[in-house]
Amino acid sequence: MRNNKKVVIIDDEAHIRRVIEIKLKKHGYQVMTAKNGKEGLNLIKTQKPDVVISDIMMPEMDGKALCEETNVLKKDQPFLTIIMTCRISADEESWISNMQDTLFMEKPFSPNKLVEYINHYFGGSYD
Amino acid sequence: MKLSPFTKFLLSLSQISRWNYEVWDAGKTVFSSGSKRSKIHVSEDMRKLSTKIISNGIFQHALSQKNYELYGIPIKNGEKVLGSLLAYAPIRSKASRAKDIYGPKRGHARQMEKFLASLVGLIEDKWSSEQEVEEITEELTQNLEDINLYSNVTTRIKTLRFSSTMLKDLAEQLLGAIHSEMVFTKLPDRLEYDMLLNKKDVGEKISHPNAFSDALINAIPKKTSSLKENYFLVTDSRMMPGYAALHSETFRFLAVRIQHKDIFYGWLGLVSFNLKEIFRRSELKLMSTVAEQLALVFANTDMYADLESFAINVVKSFVQAIETKDKYTRGHSERVNRYAMLVAARLNLNEKERRILNWASLLHDVGKIGIPETILNKPGSLTDEEYSIIKAHPEKGCNILKPLEQLSSSLPGILHHHERYDGQGYPHGLRGEDIPLLARIIAVADTFDAITSDRAYRPGKTVKEAIEIIEKVAGSQLTPDLVEVFKEAIKEDTSLAQKGLQVLAA
Repeated sequence: MRNNKKVVIIDDEAHIRRVIEIKLKKHGYQVMTAKNGKEGLNLIKTQKPDVVISDIMMPEMDGKALCEETNVLKKDQPFLTIIMTCRISADEESWISNMQDTLFMEKPFSPNKLVEYINHYFGGSYD
Repeated sequence: MKLSPFTKFLLSLSQISRWNYEVWDAGKTVFSSGSKRSKIHVSEDMRKLSTKIISNGIFQHALSQKNYELYGIPIKNGEKVLGSLLAYAPIRSKASRAKDIYGPKRGHARQMEKFLASLVGLIEDKWSSEQEVEEITEELTQNLEDINLYSNVTTRIKTLRFSSTMLKDLAEQLLGAIHSEMVFTKLPDRLEYDMLLNKKDVGEKISHPNAFSDALINAIPKKTSSLKENYFLVTDSRMMPGYAALHSETFRFLAVRIQHKDIFYGWLGLVSFNLKEIFRRSELKLMSTVAEQLALVFANTDMYADLESFAINVVKSFVQAIETKDKYTRGHSERVNRYAMLVAARLNLNEKERRILNWASLLHDVGKIGIPETILNKPGSLTDEEYSIIKAHPEKGCNILKPLEQLSSSLPGILHHHERYDGQGYPHGLRGEDIPLLARIIAVADTFDAITSDRAYRPGKTVKEAIEIIEKVAGSQLTPDLVEVFKEAIKEDTSLAQKGLQVLAA
C-alpha cells in the first residue's frame, strides 16, 4: 500500500487538513501539512513534494501568491498543484489556468474524488 | 501496537533508574529498554509472566532465578487485552534477596502496580484519543462527502424543468457517495423518469434488474412503522420475510418514498451486496432529502403544467367567444392550433418551441377582434379599403398581446403568418427562410383550414381538394418542405379522418 509519493496539504482549516491527510495516508502517501502559504512554501522547498493541495483564502500568504512563487520553482522541480476553493470567479479561473500543472477543485469537495484524482494522476486506476 | 511516543520516554526512564521496561504482545517483545545482556537473564521469565498477565488480565509479579524482580500489567483497548507492560530490575542485595525469597514485599508490589498502571494509562489514553480522532476524521470525511453531494444535488435540482439525464447524474453521485451498488427510481406515473443504475460488477449478479427492483418495492410490508417516516430498510435480506427469496446472495436494501405533502410519486431505492458496510443514519437522511427534493421538482412540474394548461384553456374559451360572431371561422383557431402542433411533433421541435407555437397558433387571428362583422362576413368581394382593414389583423394582434411578456416569443409567429414564401405577403413582405419558421407552419395550417371551411361566398372544399391546392401553392405562397410535412401530419388528425381523409389515403 505504501508508495513514495509526497503530498503537501496547505489549508488554514484544521479539519480539512486532517481529513485529506488521513485519507491520503490510508492510500500510502507521505503527507505533510501547513497552515498557510508561507509554511507551505517552506515545506515545498525542503520536502520536494509530488503534489501540493492548497486553499486560496489563507492568512500570511494566500494560494495565489503561493502559486506565483511555486510556478518559478516548478521549472526545476515539477509537481502537480490542486487548488481547492469555493465557487470561483472568472478572474480566478484565468490565473489558475495560467499556472503550470495547476488545476482546481471546487469546495465543498469530495475527499474520495480528490484521492481518486491523485491516484489517477500517478497512473493508478479510478476505483 | 503503536508505541512510538512512549519508547523514548521508557528508554530515558530506564536510564535514570535501575528499572528496565518491556512491552509484549501475545507472543513476543515489541519494545525493550534493556541491554542485550540483561535481556538474556530474564527473557524466559518475562515470557512466562507476560503470558500469565495476558491470560489473567491483571497485575502480576515474579522473581527470577537470576536475581531479578519482575512486575507486569496488561495493556488494554477497552476490554480487550492487547499485551503487557513489564518492568524488571536486579534485586539489590543478597541480603534482601534472602529476605524476600517468597516474593517482593507486598507494599513494594502495590507501589509497582500503581506506577505501572499509571504508565499504561498514559499509553491507553493516547491510543483511545488517537482512535477517537480517527473516528471523528472518518465521520468528518463522510460529512464532507455528504455536503459535496448536497451541494451538487441542490444545484441540479433547483431547475424547474428536470430531465431524466439529470436524474441519472444524480443517481451516479448517490452511488459514488453511499456505499451501494445499485440505485433506482420507481415512478409509476412518470415512466420517462424511471431509471436504474448498476455498478459494473453487480450487473452479473442481477440478470433482470428491473424485475428485481420491482420485486424489492412490492415486498415492502404495508404496515412497517418506518413507513411513517417515508423509508424502509432491510439490513440483511436473510432476516427479512419476503426478501431472502429475492436473491441467492445476501443483500441490504434501502427505499425512501418520493412524496410531497399527500402526493406519492414513487420510490428511490439503493441496494448493496456488501454486508460489511451498513446504511448509515446520515445516508438515510441524505436519501430522504434527495427524495423530498425530487418530489418537490415533480410537484412543481405538475403545478407548472396545470397552470399552463389552465391558461391555454382560458385563452381557448376567449378565442371561441370571439369567433362566435363569425359563423364561418368558428373553431378555426383551435383547428389551426391542432394542425400546427401535429406539424411541430413531426418536425421534432423542442419543448420550448412547441410552447411558443402553441400560443402563437392559438392567437394568430386575435387581431380580427377589431374588424367589423360586416367585413368579415361579407358575401361579395372586398373593397380596397376593406381589404386593408383585414390585412392589418396580424399587427393588431401583436399590439393587443404586446403587454403580455410571457407571450413575447410568440409574437413573430402571429405577426408573420400572412407572409408568403415568394415575398408577396404581408405585413413585411418577408421571403423564404426569412419568415420565422413558426409563422410558416401557421401559414400552412391556416391556409388549409381556410380552404376546407365554408365561406359566405363559397362552400368549404374537401380535404383531398385542399391538399391539391396547398401542393399547388407550395413554393409561391407556402414553404414546400412544410407542405410535405403537413400532408403527413394531418393523417394523424382523427376529426379530419372522419371528414374524408380516407379518400386521400386511397
